[in-house]
Amino acid sequence: MKATLPLCTALLAALAFTAPLLAAPASVGTPAPEFSATDSKGQKHSLSEFKGKTVVLEWNNPECPFVKKHYGAGNMQKQQAGATSAGVVWLTVNSGAKGKQGYMDGPAADAFVQKAGAKPTAYLLDADGAVGKAYGARTTPHMYVIDGQGTLRYAGGIDSVPSSDPDDIKGATQYVNQALTELSAGKPVSVSTSQPYGCSVKYGS
Amino acid sequence: MARESELGMLVATIRATTLAAALWAAASARAQPVEAEHVAVELIAERTALVPGRTTWVGLRLRHDPHWHTYWINPGDSGLETRLKWTLPAGYAAGAIAWPAPRRLAAGELTNFGYVDETVLPVPIQVPADAAPAKSARLSVAASWLVCEDICIPGKAKLELTLPVQRESAPDARWQALFAQARAALPVESGWQGEARIQGTEVEIELAGAGLPASDDLDLFPVQGQMLESARPEFERRGDRLVARARKSIYFASAPGRLDLVLTRAEGDTLRAWRASVPLILAGPDPASH
Repeated sequence: MKATLPLCTALLAALAFTAPLLAAPASVGTPAPEFSATDSKGQKHSLSEFKGKTVVLEWNNPECPFVKKHYGAGNMQKQQAGATSAGVVWLTVNSGAKGKQGYMDGPAADAFVQKAGAKPTAYLLDADGAVGKAYGARTTPHMYVIDGQGTLRYAGGIDSVPSSDPDDIKGATQYVNQALTELSAGKPVSVSTSQPYGCSVKYGS
Repeated sequence: MARESELGMLVATIRATTLAAALWAAASARAQPVEAEHVAVELIAERTALVPGRTTWVGLRLRHDPHWHTYWINPGDSGLETRLKWTLPAGYAAGAIAWPAPRRLAAGELTNFGYVDETVLPVPIQVPADAAPAKSARLSVAASWLVCEDICIPGKAKLELTLPVQRESAPDARWQALFAQARAALPVESGWQGEARIQGTEVEIELAGAGLPASDDLDLFPVQGQMLESARPEFERRGDRLVARARKSIYFASAPGRLDLVLTRAEGDTLRAWRASVPLILAGPDPASH
């Protein structure tokens, strides 16, 4: 049994990129999948370069109504600013394929970030969907929190009230905020999984 | 000149009033549909009048543009269910939406549950026993929905329907086919017993009882989110039992509990639908993993 394990893991890793994305999603409590992606300024980033730091991944499509809900109300920017000022790395990821809604090249992504007053550490361009599929990202927004040891500690929605109405933000539990607060206090993450809500990620094929 | 202009205004006012009265008469039988983006919505009633002490079925009629859809109570991997918030006269009560069985809709690698083309989401309205006949009642609803093709657009509308209160009512011929179609797709209470056993990343749902269908052409939809992955389960008959094997939701958070489900079977041109509720049990590790 033990001998077959590495092979099995390798197979699973390979499957993550070839099989339907539902086959091998990132699961909470296990190592977050390593990735490499280029940001809006042409800089390469990998998960391992942030070892020792807490990392937030945020799936983004600026034209999705659910993304607009949280950016229009300033909720996402506020969380980005709060997290990054506390030393957290916040990576906004766009897995929209070229030709699909929300796809952006580097300059367009920079313009979005500037116009929205967004405060991510970097905006990753993932038009081939490799990062999105490795994590099993399904919706925009879809949020992940990874601790300094590289373990996935939260996966799910931005908050607890699935809706496209900005008025619902104030009554909702902000799960990413909550997870970051608990992690920094050395506490267990009380809600580590939730069902994300939003638009489907506009993958290519 | 001024007088002439005033007279003109008076005539216009009278005309507008007459028109308003005519429109009101039309509205009392049928509220105007709202042509929202990619879906037309309208509040309709199955019968021509409200009868004191009885339940009347009304419904949100949805006419989707080709290839566009709205969502079931559990939207699946993305999306959002249609929501209704009622404002009714004192003593009236609206029940929950009686959700017709949904369609399985592929969105790339994701799956959604919802409705296409024309459908109605029926809602029972309980009319108070002391509702005064000869009067009319205005039913008002704030509807909100998400309509999607590949992209999604949230929509909302305030819809009203004014119906006479009478001792008798008749079927409204315009909507009989639509309500009949929705009613045929309403899951019937199956009375089946069984359980859903979680084994690692799999969930095996076993059902037993009278009238279980054959295992072909079946589909299954979990009413709650965070229970099952949205892909179509596999079905088999095991003796007198029907077994469905699904993947556990990757967002699965807690067990035990109950799983409410809708089972459907395509029989020729018609779709049969049943509902069942089974306990959810942690049964051990995934037999296929290690």
